[in-house]
Amino acid sequence: MIEVSGLWKIFGDASAKAHRMASDGASRAEIQEQTGALVAVKDVSFSVAPGETFVVMGLSGSGKSTLIRCLARLIEPTSGDISICGADVIALSADGLRDLRRHRLSMVFQHFGLFPHRTVVDNVAFGLEVRGVPRADRRERALELIGTVGLDGWADHHPQQLSGGMQQRVGLARALAVDPDVLFFDEPFSALDPLIRRDMQDELIALQLRMQRTLVFITHDFSEALRLADRIAIMRDGEFVQVGTAVEIVTNPADDYVAAFTQDAPKAKVLTADHAMEPIERFDGDVGSLARVGRWTVLEDFIPRLLSTPDPLAVAGDDGEVIGVVSHADVARLLAPPARAAAEAAPLETRP
Amino acid sequence: MTVAPAADGATRSAPGWPQSTLARVGIWVAVGVALTWVASRLLGSVGEFPQSWDVGLAEPISDARGWLIDNQRTHWLYTAILDPFSDVTEGAIEALESTLLWIPWYSYVGIAGLGLWWTRGRAAGLLGVAGASYFGVLDVWEQGLSTLSLMGVAVTCAVVIGVPIGVWSSRSDRVQRVARPVLDAMQTFPGFVYLIPFTLLFSFGPVTSLLATLIFALPPIVRATDLGIRNLPPGLIDAAAMSGATERQTLIKVRFPLARPAILVGLNQTINMALSLVVIAALIGAGGLGGSVLRALQTLQVGAAAESGLAIVVMAILLDRFFSGLADPTSRHDPARVKLLAIAMIPATLVGGILGWTTFPSQLTWSFAGGIDRAVEWAQVNLFDIADSGIGTGPFSDFITIRFITPLRELFAQDIPWPVMIGLVAAIGLALSGWRLAAGLAAALAAIGLLGMWELSMDTVAQCIVAMAMTLMIGVPVGVLTARYDRVRAAIRPILDFLQTIPSFVLLVPVIMLFNVGRVPGIMAAVLYALPAAIHYTDLGLRGVPAATREAATSFGATGRQRLLKVDLPLAAPQIMVAVNQTIMLVLSMVVIAGLVGGGGLGLETVRALRRSDSVGTGFEAGIAIVLLAAILDRVTRAIADRLSPPSAAR
Ligand SMILES: Nc1ncnc2c1ncn2[C@@H]1O[C@H](COP(=O)(O)OP(=O)(O)OP(=O)(O)O)[C@@H](O)[C@H]1O
Ligand SMILES: [Mg+2]
Repeated sequence: MIEVSGLWKIFGDASAKAHRMASDGASRAEIQEQTGALVAVKDVSFSVAPGETFVVMGLSGSGKSTLIRCLARLIEPTSGDISICGADVIALSADGLRDLRRHRLSMVFQHFGLFPHRTVVDNVAFGLEVRGVPRADRRERALELIGTVGLDGWADHHPQQLSGGMQQRVGLARALAVDPDVLFFDEPFSALDPLIRRDMQDELIALQLRMQRTLVFITHDFSEALRLADRIAIMRDGEFVQVGTAVEIVTNPADDYVAAFTQDAPKAKVLTADHAMEPIERFDGDVGSLARVGRWTVLEDFIPRLLSTPDPLAVAGDDGEVIGVVSHADVARLLAPPARAAAEAAPLETRP
Repeated sequence: MTVAPAADGATRSAPGWPQSTLARVGIWVAVGVALTWVASRLLGSVGEFPQSWDVGLAEPISDARGWLIDNQRTHWLYTAILDPFSDVTEGAIEALESTLLWIPWYSYVGIAGLGLWWTRGRAAGLLGVAGASYFGVLDVWEQGLSTLSLMGVAVTCAVVIGVPIGVWSSRSDRVQRVARPVLDAMQTFPGFVYLIPFTLLFSFGPVTSLLATLIFALPPIVRATDLGIRNLPPGLIDAAAMSGATERQTLIKVRFPLARPAILVGLNQTINMALSLVVIAALIGAGGLGGSVLRALQTLQVGAAAESGLAIVVMAILLDRFFSGLADPTSRHDPARVKLLAIAMIPATLVGGILGWTTFPSQLTWSFAGGIDRAVEWAQVNLFDIADSGIGTGPFSDFITIRFITPLRELFAQDIPWPVMIGLVAAIGLALSGWRLAAGLAAALAAIGLLGMWELSMDTVAQCIVAMAMTLMIGVPVGVLTARYDRVRAAIRPILDFLQTIPSFVLLVPVIMLFNVGRVPGIMAAVLYALPAAIHYTDLGLRGVPAATREAATSFGATGRQRLLKVDLPLAAPQIMVAVNQTIMLVLSMVVIAGLVGGGGLGLETVRALRRSDSVGTGFEAGIAIVLLAAILDRVTRAIADRLSPPSAAR
């Protein structure tokens, strides 16, 4: 659905020189010092499958917004290829780009980007209006979406009269109104307080279950990434340093930067019995007397059971066979302070 | 002048701004005075600018004017371009005026009332009713409508021309780069001088007034449109782009509606400026309220002048209140009821118009001119010299004239020989900025001399300096107070707002009541006119001093006074220089207008020339001299402001 390869964005005049230096391995700071140009996105490649939720995360200034704005061509990338829904985005004419945005691609913004001079329903209908849908039809469609995001009765209010969470629901409804195949989210929930943020995440998960769109979602909140993502890309200084599923990233961070993100991650919600267990072959006790837990049960769900007995739990495979055993120590090791875990993990991994 | 580069070098290396600035300025002034004195002695015999050097722009222009008059009927310039143009514009003004006259009087009362009710609430609505009725009660209805129609056409043209230019310049940096200095220049000159060139082409008709008003009033709306469209939250434009809106759709559906409040603020300023110039256009024979004021002033019927002058003020206030309310979209009151009443007014207007109920019932008219005249008489007798104590308007007037204006004028025009004067101005330019400014200033001043306007200009400059000194002596301390005490600010604010809404010309009326005619009333009017700006910018500058900086000063144990002198004022100095710049421009435009109440100087000359069509050339020369003076004063004060900016901000 989305194919990106070799994408660069360099701010500043000396982009050619900066490009060369960056390709030779110079750091972002060095390049900025010598050329004044800022390498905001550096040789990024990835693809997103239809129906997948792809989350990009990274610290402030790592180039996330620049990346997504390049994908949407709100800014012109310096070089690289982007294909969305089969369209070569870089090569598109202004008309073609407009057509893509009118029918297949939508975006939800961090600060909502709602039009203060239009009512909620007119905000939601904006995309339909600019593509020339008749008034009655677009109002009907907009009202339907306002209902979908739970804002029935607010259609004729102005956005300023709504709370932040409600405003972002309007933003979401506006993006969905044109029935896009691909949705871009640039930190859509960062401006909301934590409880509302959770609500909005739940809402988005529920919507995505029904609608199965292709989502590119930007956040700097790792737990948000864990809840929403099929795959996560971790970005630093304009580069993707690791791309993988939540479990891959938590269990196997590529470097300290990634490990630092996963440090505060709610691992008990991500990791399963499968990650914690010792294989059955190494266990010499009697598994028949042990309580059982499914292989894909997350830690959070079986820890209470484990704590209620001094014995380990038997882990059942997909076909019901016992494939391993998980003890208190196994769980503790997995959840141990990440600095040590990382230090331990590294030599283990490099061992052939 | 040879010291200039050295001192310039010294500035660069001198650390410890700003204390050293003061010392340096002191030394500079002392050196300047000494050099001037010596040079004046040496060149004592040179005296005034030689008459024989007068390049005599007057004659060619008068000739041109003569040629234009002779060929008015036949030449293609008139038959193909200018005549059709005047016919159309005059037609538009007349059509609007007769439509306005057709509408029954009570509709105006209703429109003013409902408009202000809608935008500002019921109390304002009552003010609207009372304000509109004032025109009827004092029987200045027709003059009011005549002023309104000239202004209506001018403002409509300003919107039709200004908004597209603003949009264009908001969409293109290149256009903005070209438009900005032009707009700046258009706002630098006293509005009055715009009348002059158009009289050459169109004589003294309404077309001249219209064009001058248009040029004078155009900048605010262009600027407001440009800035309003540029300063939108960027997220909204992205959102529109992501919805697939075209540039045009974004402009119409997003940029324009969002910029609307800003544009309306600009429109309000445009209207205010248009009104002030339409009133001044009385000088070239535009009638209306301005004409009434002018006629009354020239015959010293102060009461009648006050009645018409107040009508202008009322019009200015009603328009300002309405349009500033309109600019604030959150300020709407009882829309349903207002709408109902407005709809009800349509048939009432039609019926009244058809039946000819246009004139205000004469039983309701009333006049306070007699009362004012008596009060003025009383004041001129009793306040002139209160109980022979030497305190009063008379001795005050004499004091200002004898001690300041006359000596200054003689100093500039006679005691300092003209080459020294030009050298002095060039030296100031050199010290402030560099050779370019110096050469520009010297050339401008020399040009004034060559136009034969040396003496008149020095007269005007002397008046400006006195008025500016008085304005700053009042304005800066008041600004210090308003910056420090919110309560003082809140108390003074409405007075300043009021003063700022009054068209410059009208300010002459109250000062003439007190000071009769001569140079002093012009200066007092200039002070009144410029005071709001002086206070406002001082206040702004002092309030702009970062709180952390003040707290730092306080934490070192500085007293309030020390803090003010050592921290707040130096930091606010660039803003205060803006106050000086604004003050001097406003003062100049007022002093020029005051020419017609006996203020003398360039203003009087221009007016005199304008009234007699055969000497339009002299008026032209005086007008150019005013423009040059404005440019000199503007550049110098701006250069000082640049100089005072803290080093980091300077470059
Ligand atoms: N228009 C621009 N011109 C120059 N530099 C820019 C521009 N936009 C962004 N940058 C720089 O590019 C870098 C990446 O910015 P970007 O906004 O993409 O970061 P981000 O990851 O989205 O951060 P945040 O979490 O704060 O939104 C930053 O250093 C930023 O200063
Ligand atoms: Mg960002």
